[in-house]
Amino acid sequence: MTVDVTTRPGETADRNQLRFTDRSLAGWEIASVVSSIVIAEWMAATAAGYSKAIIAVPVALAIVVVILSQRLRSESLREIGFRFDNFWRALSLLAAPVVVTAFLCVVVGWKLGTPVNFLRWHPNRYLALQFAVGFGWALAQQYVLQGFVNRRAMVLMGRGWQSVLIVAAVFGLLHLPNITIAAITFVGGLIWAAVYQRVPNLFALAITHSVMTWFIVSTLPATALHHLRVGLGYFF
Amino acid sequence: MSRLSRTTFVQLLIGKSICEALVVTAVAAGLFLATTNPALRGWLDRADGQTISGWAVDNNNPGRRVEVQLFIDDRFVEQRSANQPRPDVHQANRAADDWHGFVFATPQLAAGEHEAKVYVLHSGASSSRRTLQIIGNPIRFRSDVSQ
Repeated sequence: MTVDVTTRPGETADRNQLRFTDRSLAGWEIASVVSSIVIAEWMAATAAGYSKAIIAVPVALAIVVVILSQRLRSESLREIGFRFDNFWRALSLLAAPVVVTAFLCVVVGWKLGTPVNFLRWHPNRYLALQFAVGFGWALAQQYVLQGFVNRRAMVLMGRGWQSVLIVAAVFGLLHLPNITIAAITFVGGLIWAAVYQRVPNLFALAITHSVMTWFIVSTLPATALHHLRVGLGYFF
Repeated sequence: MSRLSRTTFVQLLIGKSICEALVVTAVAAGLFLATTNPALRGWLDRADGQTISGWAVDNNNPGRRVEVQLFIDDRFVEQRSANQPRPDVHQANRAADDWHGFVFATPQLAAGEHEAKVYVLHSGASSSRRTLQIIGNPIRFRSDVSQ
């Protein structure tokens, strides 16, 4: 990341005159939020058995950075993607990838000999409740991933494949060391980021995110998915 | 974005990084304290083809006989209590009584050089974890098949 330190005529370069370019600041913001999530993921299992409440600190700090960043850049909820006017357009763009993913999941699961079971996703919960929880969790993830990371990546690299790749890489890396999920989320991240740049609608993204998760969990073997565990929790 | 807001925001990002560094440090320190017992004392005195012996005391609970585990060439061999007489340790004020020694009979080993390590078994506040703490230094010794 580059930092521009410039002085205006008549000014001295003291610390109050550090001027970050918008691109530098956007890159720093992405790194800051991603590092908080990494800390939370990799601290979770460490703190298990003692106090998991400590994980709330990096999570809360990341949320504060996201919200303040959006306020400082005067981004409205509508701009971020909390809107309904373009919902069907976004959903129509996502329909084909969802159908293809669902088809691939069924085929791969069938090839691996996994019985398809659409009640496997948290079987101790009512499916409707699980859908609500899954949608909420997907909306939170898409809000941070697209509403924040994608928008800052566009500031950093401009609209297009480079910023889409950053979003997908971030999404995939945050699911390590679970290689299967990291690969799936990388591909999902590419699709969602590309669609978001064309039609920013978080509700459509969250619905397809939760539906894709449902299909993946229902069709692929749990051993391959490692029970969706990521971070240090993957090893426990 | 106003310049003042940007400056404040940059300061916030720096503050956040410092805060997270402190949290990670606190968790690391807490994990160390939870998984180790700084009050454990002991020493591996001797290792040869016949016996492996030493002593171990938990200064936080001097009356307790701690559990020790013998590893030879990094392979677990045996676990037992450090409850053998060691009056010399007591006389040197390293233990509250005489009964903190351990003696393992050296198992049959292939001829050549081997390394003995003894660890104290430590159960922290969490019952989900037990950790091993090495006492003293590993001792290298030779074993002959004829033994």
